[in-house]
Amino acid sequence: MSPIDSTIPYYPVNDFGPLMKGLVIGGVGILHVFLAQFAIGGGMLMWYFERLGQRGEPDARTFVDGYFKVLVLVSFVVGALTGVAMWFTTIQVGARTIGLMIDEFHWLWATEWVWFAVEITAGYAFYRHGPRLAGRARLRLLALYALASWMSLFWINGILAWQLTPGRWLDGGGVWAGFFNPSFAPSLLFRTAVSTTLGALVGCIVINAMDLPRERRAALIRRAARFAAPIAAMPVLALWFLAVLPADSRSWLLGGSMAMTMFVGVAAGASFLIGGYAIVGLIVQRLYINGATATLLLGLAFGATAAGEFVREGARKPYTVRGVLYSTSIRPAEVAALRASGATAGDPYPLHDRYPTEQLARGAKVERALCDACHTLHGANALVELTRTWTDDQLRLNLAKLQRTKGFMPPFAGNAEDVEAVVQLLRWERDGRPATPAAAPASPETLAQIARWLDEAGTEPAGDPPGRVPGRVQ
Amino acid sequence: MMWPFDGSIGGPVESLWLALYLASFALHAVLVSCVAAGAGYALVAAVRRSADPIAARTRDWLPFLLGAGITAGVGPLLFLQLLYQRRFYTANLLMGPRWGAVVPALIAGFYALYLAKASERRRRLALGVATACFAFVAWSWTELHQVMLDDAGWRAMYAAGERFHTDAAILPRLAIWSGAMLALFAAVSAWPATAAERRRLAGLALAGLLLCGAASAIAAARGGGLALAHDPAHGWTSLLIAAAVIAALAWAWTAHRPGGRGLSIATAATAAALIAGSVVREAPRLALIERARATAVDAGGLPVFAVTLAIGIAAIAWVVRTARSAA
Repeated sequence: MSPIDSTIPYYPVNDFGPLMKGLVIGGVGILHVFLAQFAIGGGMLMWYFERLGQRGEPDARTFVDGYFKVLVLVSFVVGALTGVAMWFTTIQVGARTIGLMIDEFHWLWATEWVWFAVEITAGYAFYRHGPRLAGRARLRLLALYALASWMSLFWINGILAWQLTPGRWLDGGGVWAGFFNPSFAPSLLFRTAVSTTLGALVGCIVINAMDLPRERRAALIRRAARFAAPIAAMPVLALWFLAVLPADSRSWLLGGSMAMTMFVGVAAGASFLIGGYAIVGLIVQRLYINGATATLLLGLAFGATAAGEFVREGARKPYTVRGVLYSTSIRPAEVAALRASGATAGDPYPLHDRYPTEQLARGAKVERALCDACHTLHGANALVELTRTWTDDQLRLNLAKLQRTKGFMPPFAGNAEDVEAVVQLLRWERDGRPATPAAAPASPETLAQIARWLDEAGTEPAGDPPGRVPGRVQ
Repeated sequence: MMWPFDGSIGGPVESLWLALYLASFALHAVLVSCVAAGAGYALVAAVRRSADPIAARTRDWLPFLLGAGITAGVGPLLFLQLLYQRRFYTANLLMGPRWGAVVPALIAGFYALYLAKASERRRRLALGVATACFAFVAWSWTELHQVMLDDAGWRAMYAAGERFHTDAAILPRLAIWSGAMLALFAAVSAWPATAAERRRLAGLALAGLLLCGAASAIAAARGGGLALAHDPAHGWTSLLIAAAVIAALAWAWTAHRPGGRGLSIATAATAAALIAGSVVREAPRLALIERARATAVDAGGLPVFAVTLAIGIAAIAWVVRTARSAA
């Protein structure tokens, strides 16, 4: 059978060595989000400064025609490229996830594409012809650029928010119910506030590089600082976002998962520092900010963005699309079938490594199919280290009842032999891959016990049951 | 409705996806042709140290054309994932990081184009780097196209850990594209050109069309022949050949009389050849279009896209008009 014909799509899996796949997509994603959000806020800031310039502040016009517009240009081009890179890296991590997103939202994605094309055209036209254009045309061009870049955010935000909170879409509400989902509005407003703040911070850095007396730079900085004001709304928006999250996701962010809680803390702490400086220092006390301090705040903003994106990704667990697709790229409805057939019965792709026994080879295939999206064996989030001190029976129990072991893990989508194969693989890896594995084949009683544990755990996730997804989706 | 948009590949939704895929692909092809062939042309001019006004204009526009080309490429990339989802994802995964290298190559190419524009001293190096980057991207896309088709070989490719797909069809395909890129670049660049420049571009276009024809003939011969009497693309191949011949004749006329109507005819014929060529390129794999997933067929949002597209086209037209008023 050709790999193209299998009922459940099996895709080839790439090994990134000690790098967890989430780190790969996270790295590209954070860079993309940071640049794209700056390009949005930067566009708005340019429109505002152009307006100031036309109302008699010549330094504002100098700012618009100077280095800043180059930064915006660089950002939207690299933002575009990293956007394409996001597609490619998402395919590496979860091809079924991106496929489902494309299937459900392709017309909205195409809509976003149109706005992005307008953004690129308007931005480049201003960059190239701006100095020779009349004031009104300049202002309109910048307004179009700012609007188009924000519209691009508007559309993509709805699609990303749907992954976490599909809302009434799960009850068959259709594409608009999915798009205008519970976290759509807080997420959009939050990202808009981040965008304007990033624009303000980069603006402050560029103003410091301008060849102007300090008092004239200070006047520009006071203007730019106004764009950081929306950061004051972030605590409320963050609480709103938390309130609309599913209860289990919220519990992991608020202490249930220490890693995620720490990232929430990093994002909140960095945002608090930036907001405090911007609101109290720049806006209320009208302090001067030098280039070094503005750069430091921008670095903090990058840290906050990185932590925030980690939180957004982590809060979806055990799903990549809540209620529809697990992080293993398996649909909830497919788990029962895989419990019967085995996790890799339909997997057409062979292993790259050689294993001394068939059981270990099976374990490697099961690990590749069910664990590899979020774990490595010896690198980041390493299975061998996570389970090093467990007894064999403890390991069997915890794998068989995976969704009970950790609430953010999906149910084990394989049979008793698969569980035992993974147990033996982890033991073999822990022992340094000996040429002759010590383990004897599992007894029928052991396999029967694992099967009982699998049955007890069931095929449902630990948190909310999968949504009543329209039949066509399941 | 004409084949293949007559529902023969599925329902009306699939036909619409296909039409949008091919239309956005053709637009993308024009822009990336200007980038790849333009960078190559500017590189040759820089190596020869000739003060070529075509090369100067091209250098000036290359960064924008690359940005526009990449943006235009998002459209076909989107519809490709609807039509050939499993094949596209599998090919991506099989080629792995080596496929992902197209992104840093494009970023390097983009900054090299800016360097070529800004620095005369580093121009040759920058254009060399940019041309190499774009050649790598073109090679990679051609390779990916072939991997998508070769589902029988996926298992072996994965087992061997191969990241390169050395298919005999890749070189002829690249040669066809190289010729087409020269012709498209010439058609776009000839409009603001002087009479002498148009003559040079006519030569370039004719060379491109010749390369395209020769490479196509070789590819057809290797593939068992392409009899016009049994056009596998339902007349599109005939249209492609007719358009290419008309374009060649019109370019010859332009070379003879640069101020005449030859350029208009050459441009129209090149556009027709591009559209027909896009369909002919797609024809062999139309049978591989995956059975449409119900989720995708039922997805809403088409009216919003249609309205936004109209607004977007109007907005871009306004931007172009505004920019031209400043030029």
